[in-house]
Amino acid sequence: MNLRTLFPNYAVVAAAVSIASLPIQARAAEASETLRAAVDEVLALAYDAKATTPLSVRVRPVVEKQFNLEIITRRAIGPGWKQFTAEQKTAAIQLFTDVVIRTYANRFEPGDRPVINYGKPVIPDAAKPALRELPSTITAAGKTFAVVYRVEQAGDSWRIYDVIIEGVSMIANWRSQLDPIFQKGGANAVIEALQKNLAQQPLK
Amino acid sequence: MKQQSKLELIVGMFMIVGIAAVVYLALRIGAGTLVGGDTYELQARFSNTGGLNPGSNVVISGVPVGRVEAITLNTTDFSSVVRLRLRKDLKLPTDSIASIKTSGLIGDKFLALSPGADDEVLAPGALITNTESTVDLESLISRFAFGDVKDKPAAAATPSAETPPATPATSTAPVTQ
Repeated sequence: MNLRTLFPNYAVVAAAVSIASLPIQARAAEASETLRAAVDEVLALAYDAKATTPLSVRVRPVVEKQFNLEIITRRAIGPGWKQFTAEQKTAAIQLFTDVVIRTYANRFEPGDRPVINYGKPVIPDAAKPALRELPSTITAAGKTFAVVYRVEQAGDSWRIYDVIIEGVSMIANWRSQLDPIFQKGGANAVIEALQKNLAQQPLK
Repeated sequence: MKQQSKLELIVGMFMIVGIAAVVYLALRIGAGTLVGGDTYELQARFSNTGGLNPGSNVVISGVPVGRVEAITLNTTDFSSVVRLRLRKDLKLPTDSIASIKTSGLIGDKFLALSPGADDEVLAPGALITNTESTVDLESLISRFAFGDVKDKPAAAATPSAETPPATPATSTAPVTQ
């Protein structure tokens, strides 16, 4: 059984990612507190019954503010990133951001508002005090999922650089798909694959 | 007489070389120690290492590059810390990901490293925090197949104080040898 293909079939998990993968914002405040605020912001956008614009459009500003998209894209592509030109890097970041937001936003199905419980923040490595892992559980449609946010402090703000759902890392998941594409066709193949993926996902 | 002692000497030397070869192979294949090559150690922090054992393979792109030396429990945050020994010529970027994988559905667990894109590399003894733990397949299947009986919590809980950082060298207790 391929777990990486199992997950996308479940809208609840997609919704969890959509919610969870949305950002943290913080100014000198604790990462966990700002995570809660960010999740609340995303939930408000997702469950706004009066909204007419697609969810992916509504959440994009929040994602851009709270996620470290350059780091996420770089890590998702893997070692091949070093061979991208500056223009290719810019294009890849834009495309990858669009693909990730649209992938999860399009799978979001409004139902009962999920209940989120936050666990104790963890400093995973004493040598890197700017890193935190923020564990949580999301309960939706009678199912509970473990979600861990990995965040990094940059200046006085915290930004998400990975989300782990039931032990599966978002970055590792994308890297396992994008790295083989790079190995076959280089940077242009990665950009073309992202463009193709985006074209197959209309705004909803 | 002289020729006989010469023959005995040759046989003796042959036996010594044979025993040395057997010992070398036993260490190399069985004990999980890479004899004869320069190696260095890294650590990786997981929330669950179920099924991984000392001696398990460490691979990159399917190619064995080292072994798991020990698995210990961090008694502070109850995470699992894995010590790996890798070939010294491997320079892994700091954003490399360590994932626990299974050979097939019910095969042995091994540790897969996915190199990242950072310019900095992991120094000997460094801790990899970008990890994917063992996925509890049975639990996942049963939850998707039969649903979840847990009641919804009444309200979101408040996060409490931060868990202190992992300090594997001082606060871990071995659970496996």
